Amino acid sequence: MRKINLILALMIGLIATVNLQAQDDLSAERKQAIDSLALEKVRDLSKYISIIGSKSTPWSEANRVIDRAEELFMLDAEIGVSSLARPEIDYYKVRQYFERLMRLNYDRVEIDWFKIEYVSDLQRQPDGTYVGVITIFQKFKAYDKEGGLVYEDTTKKDITIYVKRKETQIGGRIIGFWDVLLGDMRVKETSK
Amino acid sequence: MQMTISLHQLQRFGLLILVVLMTLGGTTGCKSKKKLAREQAAAEYASKVEQATKDLNAMLNDETTWTLEEKERRFATIKSWNLQDENVLNLMDQVEDMLSRERAEANRKAEEERLRQEEDALRAREAAKYNSIESQFLAIAAAPDMEAANERIERALSLFASPDVPVLIIISQAGGFNDYDRPTTISKYLNYLKDQKVYNNLIEQVKYDANGKITELELIKK
Repeated sequence: MRKINLILALMIGLIATVNLQAQDDLSAERKQAIDSLALEKVRDLSKYISIIGSKSTPWSEANRVIDRAEELFMLDAEIGVSSLARPEIDYYKVRQYFERLMRLNYDRVEIDWFKIEYVSDLQRQPDGTYVGVITIFQKFKAYDKEGGLVYEDTTKKDITIYVKRKETQIGGRIIGFWDVLLGDMRVKETSK
Repeated sequence: MQMTISLHQLQRFGLLILVVLMTLGGTTGCKSKKKLAREQAAAEYASKVEQATKDLNAMLNDETTWTLEEKERRFATIKSWNLQDENVLNLMDQVEDMLSRERAEANRKAEEERLRQEEDALRAREAAKYNSIESQFLAIAAAPDMEAANERIERALSLFASPDVPVLIIISQAGGFNDYDRPTTISKYLNYLKDQKVYNNLIEQVKYDANGKITELELIKK
């Protein structure tokens, strides 16, 4: 009986080790998939910001999109806001940033993100979280009632990315998934 | 004793001489034919040895354009000659080994190809099975405006048991298990298609309830 228990314990230990190794020692292919997933989340955010900022988006729809956009971020993450009119950079909580964006005092705004790329690859931390930095360039244009361009700038922003493997139970089975969360979005430079 | 030889006796003696000469002549002719046949057989054998050596070497050094089947047929022909030449026998051993390796490799590739074709066919059948669902996803992503997208979302939701049906998205498959994105619900996913205006996944698996409504959807990134 003791022998059986010992064999069972060894087998469970072996399975657990193999499972942990499968999670920790990422193949290049899996790492690539996670890199792409994180980039995709940033592109999703880009689209959400454009929808929230658009004056043609109905209020209820903008609020729904704010909920979706907020889900992309870590709790307490902050987003930097800069202006060519002043040197300081203000930081807002994610929800607050989106609500301000929705209420911008312009008749029409265009927000486009471009050159979305990694400046620091995802690196595994001791707690198993992968951390990296993605940089984006944001082109902001604001128009008045007559359709005249009243303000424009281009801002370079760095977004810290956190990717952690988590598990959840769906339909009676355990699903292992990669949770990509965006951290602070820091303003690096603002220009005309 | 009568010493005179009659004409009749002379005739009989002449006939005897003729028979002896014909017999001797016939024996000599028969011997020549056998020798000729032996020489022809030897020449034919030497020619076969030469041809076999040439073909076997060509196969070993990969200097032919023959297919595996052609090489196997050629080898079978050479083998049927039953040549006892030591060099040819040695070459035949080597070619036989080589051909059995090539045959095993060809069989392995054929099996791989068969499995791949089966997999493709299965995928195509699965894809066709889910065509109607995917066309709804594509329609939402391609909706010209928000109202149209919302109508299409409502239509698509009627396929599902509830708006909270889980949607799993596989981001990679390796080592026998799947890596997923964070699970979402069908309601959120359909709105995601509306917001992002792109559907770039494929349906991997669908689970239905007794009413034929979808209770779980598994997608995979293209």
